[in-house]
Amino acid sequence: MSGLIHLLNSIGVPSSVLSEASFYVLAVLVCVFAFLVVTSRNVFHSAVYLALALIGVAGIYLYLNAEFLAVVQVLIYVGAVVTLFIFAIMLTARIHDQAIRQTNEQVLVSAVVTLALLYLLINIVENLPSRTGGPGTKTLAIGRLGELLMKDYALPFEVISLVLLAALVGAIVIGKEKRG
Amino acid sequence: MIPESHFLILSAVLFAIGVFGALTRRNAIGILMSIELILNAANINLVCFSHHLSTAQGSPEGLGQILALFVIAIAAAAAVVGLVLVLAIYRNAKTVFVDRINLMKW
Repeated sequence: MSGLIHLLNSIGVPSSVLSEASFYVLAVLVCVFAFLVVTSRNVFHSAVYLALALIGVAGIYLYLNAEFLAVVQVLIYVGAVVTLFIFAIMLTARIHDQAIRQTNEQVLVSAVVTLALLYLLINIVENLPSRTGGPGTKTLAIGRLGELLMKDYALPFEVISLVLLAALVGAIVIGKEKRG
Repeated sequence: MIPESHFLILSAVLFAIGVFGALTRRNAIGILMSIELILNAANINLVCFSHHLSTAQGSPEGLGQILALFVIAIAAAAAVVGLVLVLAIYRNAKTVFVDRINLMKW
């Protein structure tokens, strides 16, 4: 992306305007892909749109100076979780059958509830108390992040690895075919 | 400079879309995908506050990013267990549609 910004800088577009505009384009794209995830009739298409939405969220992290999180997002979500979803879809649903209804009878009620929730949330966001001190400009270095994980937050880090191990063992036990 | 509230509004919209999907999808895998969207909305909030509060007095450095990392790990574990449960149900009930799975209802 920096290459593109450099290219457009050279023809006279200031980089602040450009990066702001590209943020809004990215945000709208994320919302559109997320909407397609929940409305698409074909579950396989939903999984592909989910991958695109998650890559977009990784781009949003770049605007918040969280490069490591962006990389982790692409690696774990797009690389592992979406692949898992696609495997599960392949193993279960008849994905090419367009005649199957994918939504239940609560679409209208759900839409009303969701819009009310969205209205509430945006109301809260707009009434946030203003704070002194602007956003930080320096990025949290990856080395510092690793230091924090291994020193200050070492205990939660170990607990997370236990949770992952338990999930792994549980998945094998539940997924195992019962014989005899 | 992009104001903080725009990140929060993006996160709110993403959260609402995820809730809508979780409420309306019949397919259990679709519901799990919607839950992933909800968790991502929460992550955007965490990273946004971590970024915008980093100059405030007494705010712990990088806590938001570390919490977001933990959320990603938990989400991966949840997806694994959820999908294996869906596969186990599919093996027994031959369906992934949640309105057909009524074994424990009445």
